Amino acid sequence: MRTHRRWGLAALAAMVIGVSGCATSEEWATWKAHPTHFASGDHASFSMRNREGSAARVTRNDITRARDEAWWGKPITVSQEQILER
Amino acid sequence: MSVSRRLALAMVVAVTLGIVGPPAAAAPSDDRILAVDQYTTDKGRTLARTYWPDLRTLNAGIYHCLPWVEIQKQSIGFFRPKHVAQDDRYLSLRIYIEQDPSPSFARLPVEKRASAMFSRYVGAMLRRMTKSPTLLADDSVDGFTVILEWLKQVPTAAGEPPTHETIAVFVPKPVAADYLSGQISIPDVATRARVLGWDGETSLGALRLSAWEDNFISTYKVKNYELEPGVTCP
Repeated sequence: MRTHRRWGLAALAAMVIGVSGCATSEEWATWKAHPTHFASGDHASFSMRNREGSAARVTRNDITRARDEAWWGKPITVSQEQILER
Repeated sequence: MSVSRRLALAMVVAVTLGIVGPPAAAAPSDDRILAVDQYTTDKGRTLARTYWPDLRTLNAGIYHCLPWVEIQKQSIGFFRPKHVAQDDRYLSLRIYIEQDPSPSFARLPVEKRASAMFSRYVGAMLRRMTKSPTLLADDSVDGFTVILEWLKQVPTAAGEPPTHETIAVFVPKPVAADYLSGQISIPDVATRARVLGWDGETSLGALRLSAWEDNFISTYKVKNYELEPGVTCP
């Protein structure tokens, strides 16, 4: 279920990106005006779903667990050694 | 011996050994900080040893107060920027910023995405990295590096790895000092710092960013997030 939702979201995001061109000035202004643009809300709902019957609260451990479960896999990214020396 | 007595005995032993008990309080791992013996010069080792408690405080502060930000192993330390020839040591921090996939953000040119991330995080990280007046005044600390990394786009096919975008912001000590004392603003820091970018593993070279004041970090709260007992956030 989780996998299906994630791929559904990925497909939707890809479709929107593919159909549209560059960001409009309106979208840029929206970002600069502090949009709700982070994943933490998902963590909150994840944790609340797992605590039925108790008061909704999210701990640091909940966030770590949610992050581990939603891991996309090893990313393509620049290595530390390309930026910094020890 | 009955089963119930054996179970009771096992529980006593487990509790005594610490195998069973209340859940441990969340705490960041010290492996996020480069160990003293991993430095290649005495200057690096001395700085790491001297300011180890400050690096732990930095690690813990981000862990508890910015829970949507992740610090990977060996991402905090007194590293030498690769482009600097001499042994200049910059207090360096690399963070991964977790965000929901956002088509509108993805459509921005890379300089604008980088500018947005710079505006949101660099000033706040510089303030966290310089909480110790002793560290800021130490002549052997030559500057600060803030490395920001975020998901560029979600994978579109099964098995495809995610791609991150990264910027490395190198702030010489005098620039950081001017910013922290209020003599210059964050747009000035963007102008005077060296900023390098990467798309995945591909270098984008130096980026020219236009930054602005962004109070997101000081105002955003994760819904229903509860700090560990004894932890306070600014």
